[in-house]
Amino acid sequence: MIVSWNWLKDYVDLNMDHDELVERLTMSGLNHEGSKQIGDDFAIDLEVTSNRPDCLGHFGVAREIAVLYQTELNIPTVELASSKEKIADSFKVELDCEDLCYRFTARLIRGVKVGPSPGWLVTRLQAVFPGYKSINNVADITNYVMMETGQPLHAFDYGKIKGGKIVVRSATKDEEFLAINHDRYRLDEGVCVIADSERPMAVGGVMGGADSEVSEQTVDILIEAAEFSPMSIRSTARQLNLHSPASHRFERPIDPTGTDYASQRCCQMILDLAGGELAGGIIDEGRSSFHAVEVTLRFRQLKRILGIEIPADVVPGILAALGCEIIKSDESVLTVIPPTWRRDLSRECDLIEEVGRIYGFDKIPETADVPMAATVKRNEDRVAIKIRSLMTAAGFDESMTASLVPEPWSVEFSPWTDQAPLVSSQPMLGVLEKASKDIGRVEFARRSLVPSLLESRRINEHRGGEEAELFEIAKVYLPNVDSLPSEPLKLSFVGSRDYYAMKGLVDALFVEMNPGTKLDYKLCEEKIMNRSRGSVVQLNGKTVGFVGEVSSYGQAKFQLRKACSVAELDVSALLMGAILVPQHEKISGQPPVTRDFNFVVDESLRWNDLSKSVSEAAGEIFESVEYVETFRNTAKDGPDKKRILLSVKFRSSSTTLTGEDADHACQSIIASCREKHDASLVS
Amino acid sequence: MALQEFVSELESLCTAANEAFSKAESGDQLEDGRVEFLGAKNGRLKSAQKLLGSVEKSDKPAAGQKLNQIKKAIQAAFEEAKSRLVNAVEDDLDETFDPTLPGAPIRMGRLHPITQTIEELKDIMGRLGFSIEEGPEIEDDWHNFEALNIPREHPARDPLDNFYLATANQNSGQPLLLRSQTSTVQIRVMENTPPPIRIISLGRVYRPDTADRTHYPMFHQMEGLMIDVDVTMADLKTVLRLFATNYLGEDVRIRIRPSFFPFTEPSVEADYYWNGKWVEFGGAGMVDPNVLQSVGYDPETVSGFAFGLGVERLCMRRHSITDIRDLFTNETRFLHQF
Repeated sequence: MIVSWNWLKDYVDLNMDHDELVERLTMSGLNHEGSKQIGDDFAIDLEVTSNRPDCLGHFGVAREIAVLYQTELNIPTVELASSKEKIADSFKVELDCEDLCYRFTARLIRGVKVGPSPGWLVTRLQAVFPGYKSINNVADITNYVMMETGQPLHAFDYGKIKGGKIVVRSATKDEEFLAINHDRYRLDEGVCVIADSERPMAVGGVMGGADSEVSEQTVDILIEAAEFSPMSIRSTARQLNLHSPASHRFERPIDPTGTDYASQRCCQMILDLAGGELAGGIIDEGRSSFHAVEVTLRFRQLKRILGIEIPADVVPGILAALGCEIIKSDESVLTVIPPTWRRDLSRECDLIEEVGRIYGFDKIPETADVPMAATVKRNEDRVAIKIRSLMTAAGFDESMTASLVPEPWSVEFSPWTDQAPLVSSQPMLGVLEKASKDIGRVEFARRSLVPSLLESRRINEHRGGEEAELFEIAKVYLPNVDSLPSEPLKLSFVGSRDYYAMKGLVDALFVEMNPGTKLDYKLCEEKIMNRSRGSVVQLNGKTVGFVGEVSSYGQAKFQLRKACSVAELDVSALLMGAILVPQHEKISGQPPVTRDFNFVVDESLRWNDLSKSVSEAAGEIFESVEYVETFRNTAKDGPDKKRILLSVKFRSSSTTLTGEDADHACQSIIASCREKHDASLVS
Repeated sequence: MALQEFVSELESLCTAANEAFSKAESGDQLEDGRVEFLGAKNGRLKSAQKLLGSVEKSDKPAAGQKLNQIKKAIQAAFEEAKSRLVNAVEDDLDETFDPTLPGAPIRMGRLHPITQTIEELKDIMGRLGFSIEEGPEIEDDWHNFEALNIPREHPARDPLDNFYLATANQNSGQPLLLRSQTSTVQIRVMENTPPPIRIISLGRVYRPDTADRTHYPMFHQMEGLMIDVDVTMADLKTVLRLFATNYLGEDVRIRIRPSFFPFTEPSVEADYYWNGKWVEFGGAGMVDPNVLQSVGYDPETVSGFAFGLGVERLCMRRHSITDIRDLFTNETRFLHQF
């Protein structure tokens, strides 16, 4: 809302300088967004919060100033002379939609001389509406009074109203309307129109019509001052994409006593500046939505909420200056009826805020004794920090991607659920990179982070030729039938490394949380993963992740030039077994003994099974088993056989192992592997 | 063998050993010398020792004494040579050595600047006694609006201004949406915990603004909430001030000025003074009695404050980032700056 310094001076003395005034206004709730000097005037731009529609006119801002500086507020009085003609004798208003338009008033002025506005009027309007083009004196005056009082008004060319009446009604389906800007609109039911007996002349509270507007030929005018349903105005303005200063004001509750005042004030200015004769009386249909309330303020509540003592004797003064009518007052309570322009004041806490903001929030100290409180770092946070430090140490950059994705990404990889994704009724706009712009509406709550990371990888390839290695920790959204969706936290990463390097990282993540973690890896059927270079990660028989090289199918789907791998892990699985306070175990001072084995085994034997047998058979002195390599020698071993070379380390906690000790353990390993896996030593 | 002969044999052995050890220029050469003279099996000293048997019986004590003396001398010469070599520069300078060639690169990843900001915020608020709470990102109308004193007719609930899901909660029939603010967590915590409460909630929130330099339909908020008997605006201002001092430095000034939010009354906007002007850093206020009532608290008994900050805004100002979209494009050239 832009106000003019000179204009304000009509209602309140401005004895301060500009900078001081805007500082005071900012500190009492009208945030100063900037000022522009125009000649001897300042156009002052103030941010008006949605609870303060009273400050969408100069009166309201002047009232704030008068309260802050404890000076007089001079609202012009209006006295109107009228002719013998009564408006009600020749004209009718039918209000058919009181849910959309609460109240509709009309006054009639005959014999107006429509022409250019006086210079001072245009100057003021140009100060508050940058770029304002003067229309004619009547239209300018309706705008002027709106900016003065905050009540929007509309003037109709009375001669163009057909059938001697106005019907305020809901539009019929697809009803056509030609607006004042000469755009044609097709209206929907539920839009409030101001019609005559034949056609809509205005979209109520939003915009006037082209064929009933006041022009140089106009002789008689009808002045509308109304109160519309804020919700209906809001949806209409939005539907038609027609936002006007009027709709902006009608989207908030207006001052009911201001409606008639504005109508009178407008008539008075027209009579003064454009001549004519006012018909007697007013047509006033419907009722304002306003109900006066009594509100009681207990003085002790001021201290309880604001934290400072405010002298009881200043409180009534502040509230009275703001327009509250004081009903009852004693040393502990004050009962008031807030003014009609302050519908936001309906509860005690509202009055506390008013007293506080006028008295000054700057008087509240910032050195209170806030008691100490202990906080505990949550395990979730500790684990997240560990994950992040491991991933960055491994060379991955942390990324963040949007939670909604386009359909192709959503469809391509959803390893955690078969349920259809949740869909937003609004898409995210402007979040896709140019090359992906046409891929679809970004409206699917993602079920995996992997597609988003592949897209980030693609962007990096595309823009900088970088082979980005990225990770992200974020939620995925899995629908539930009878409760809120599940939002498990996932860790995903994408990199240039091969399957085993990625698997190594998966192992490291789990071991970092819990050194005893035993993961299992099963074949993975996901299409975007290479079947021979990818796996499902399992912990205690439960799937906790996926890791693998991206298949050529996946690479093509995500338009990736270079090979890459992905992994996605369930963070709760990492969290669940996490040992955040590791316990000491005595380190053996004895030397280890290492023995190598070269087993011939079936091709189908998995390392996990072999190594498990080795570790179990080795007995108490077993320390570790290390995979060395795999050979194939079909000539000697026959088909479907492979040789696995492994190295086992033995160590005793108490004695130095002898060769016999180690030999004994080795025999046990060989026997067990032969029995369980038909493994034989290479001779 | 005559004693004289044995002694001279030993002495020449000693001279030879001395010469070999002192000439040794490397550990390998010294080791060769050690094996030659002091070797346990075939060393020359060992061989000399064997000659002791052929010395006249009457000369044996003198010969033995001499042998020990020589043995010690050779041992000492070896030790001396060894320590000389250890202390010497190992090798000659290799003229091709370029100490400035790049080291083997270690690529460390970086944390996202938003994470870095969030961690800092968590740290500060933790020190101020606020515990971290989380809640769902997909919420129902009650937690996102109704309980926060945002009635059905409030513009904030316009379907066009929110990411409502196409499906409602099948159980309650309530519409679901991607939360538009982290205040939802405050409601969930208060519904489940009696006062006192002292928490922050941090996380992603969603509003359907078209992405541009300063907007993104997803961003992060941090909200703080403190409820107890006798919590006042002075406590609010104090916490905001402590926060600003922690985040920005010792000499920062703050101010609060009236504003409007449905869930607080009074509502304020908090600014800090930075580089000669006031910069907005978040909204705050005393929790509206309607909110307290909606979670079953008695507004006559307890009071409290809440505040909320936009993490992206803080992060962008902190790192001089000018386009919010850069935060979510994830170019490594961008990410690696932080």
